[in-house]
Formats: sequence, structure tokens, C-alpha cells
Amino acid sequence: MHDPGARRMARRKLERDPQAELVAYSDQEPSAFASMLGGLIEANIRSNPAKLEDFDRLVARVGIFVTDIEEGVTLDFKGGRLVVHNGLEATRTITIRAEAETVMSLSNLRIGPLGMPIYFDEVGRGVALKLLKGRLKIDGLIPNVMTVNAVTRVFSVT
Amino acid sequence: MMPVKAFSEEWASAFKDEVNRSSTYKSAAKGWKWTVGLVVEAEPDKHFPESRGVVMDLFDGEARDIKVGPAADAQKCDFVITAPYSRWKEVATKQLDATKGMLQGKLKLKGDLPTIVRYTKASQEMTECTTRVPVAWPDEN
Repeated sequence: MHDPGARRMARRKLERDPQAELVAYSDQEPSAFASMLGGLIEANIRSNPAKLEDFDRLVARVGIFVTDIEEGVTLDFKGGRLVVHNGLEATRTITIRAEAETVMSLSNLRIGPLGMPIYFDEVGRGVALKLLKGRLKIDGLIPNVMTVNAVTRVFSVT
Repeated sequence: MMPVKAFSEEWASAFKDEVNRSSTYKSAAKGWKWTVGLVVEAEPDKHFPESRGVVMDLFDGEARDIKVGPAADAQKCDFVITAPYSRWKEVATKQLDATKGMLQGKLKLKGDLPTIVRYTKASQEMTECTTRVPVAWPDEN
């Protein structure tokens, strides 16, 4: 006999253990930058269910290189889990290169309707201008716009 | 203004005045309601023999109080930034940008990261305020 509740059961989301490890570090001694980005993303997703949903869907290898301190990290999003590597690892989906101040302003981008970052307020205009002037470079942006937006949402503290 | 002794009560008072004079800080720190502690670690070879703590009571764009005391007092604050004396001197003399210092681990930050990131502009202006206080550095006398 057909079970009317079966479909609902199949669609139900798996409950996540609140203590489950969401962010791990591949290096025995994560750099300060790696710890900071990993800590920031973990705090964001633990405090905001919408960001957690993005995090659960996000599969991408994101490099972030801070040009004025010449330090980078790779954020390996594995659909519900993040592994942070010191330095830039090979085969990245996107790579963001910018000065420290710009990297911090990326996390201050406000997210608007439909989950799109807002580029018309003060922070957004600053980021857009840096992108136009080449002071913020995102390798792999064009084919991965949706991934960039998802990463921005997970990264954003607003 | 006469230079004040680094991380002394006079320095704290001058720093507080600078913060409260800054309209940039006032608008950037709107909504801030947490205490911030700066731990200045001892460097006896730089004539800074004992660690000190700077406790900042900051509220909604205003510095209500800034005090210098034992490092343990600063460690009890909501946000704690720790560095040796010479690193703080680099920050106060504009040789080290505080944001870069934190990303490089030269300044160690403890506290809720999303909150501090949300107030990046306020913390940058606060750093600017320290650079406007003339200081007599113990390792330069």
C-alpha cells in the first residue's frame, strides 16, 4: 500500500549534530589568517540558518590571497564541511586577490533580495570600484558567479 | 601637546580624548557595546618590564572610560587584543597596520570575529587615534 508520508520523510532534512565539526584545518599549525577566516565562517554559519543552508550546498575550492601581506589560504567547501589550508592549493574554482582592507570589506558586503550582494551602498561601491580598478581580482569569476555570490553570503557578517 | 609616557594613565586619558574627538569613530562605532582590552606584553630589554592592560569601555560611538592597569583586567574584556610592547609601538607609530597585524598573527585577537569584522572601520579609526597621541617611548629615552 502507498505510504502517504513516505515522500515527506524522503524530503526531510537530516538533523545535524549541533556539536558536529563544520570547519577543519589541514595544517597542524593553521596560520593566523587561516584561523581567522575559518573562525569567521564558522561563527557566521552557526548563528545564521540561511548561511548554513548556503554552506551545506557549497562545493568549491576558493583561494584568497592578501597581496599586501603576501599570504593566502584555500577554503575547500565540501557541501556542509570546510577544510582550510594554509597557502594556495592547486585546482581552485575561484581565487580572490586583494589587499587586507579589501578582504575585510568583502565580509562587510550587505546581502540583498535573492541573496545578491549589494553593490550600491558605501561598502558595495568601494568593492565594485576596486574590482573595476583591478585592486580586487577574482580569477574564475565569470563562469562561477553563483559560487562567488554563495561564498560572499557565507563570508558576510551583515 | 607634551608627549605622555607610553601606556600610562596620562596616555589613556589623552587616547580617550582623541577617540571622543573623532567624528569618524563616533559614526563607525554606532551600536558598539562591548569592552575591549589591550594586553601590552612586557619586553624588559625595551625598558617595558611589566605587562600592562588597557581596559576600554566603549559604548555606541563613545569612549566612556579608558584605564591602564594589570594585564589580567584587560583579559576579562569581551574582546582582547594581545601583542608585545614593540608591536603596539609599531601600530601607534603607523609602522604596522592593525588589520594586517591581526591577519599575520602579530596581534592576537580573542572575541567574536563577526562582530569585530562588522566594526572594521571603527577599529581602524581607533588605531588612527592612537597615532595622534604624542608618546614618550621607554626604549627611546
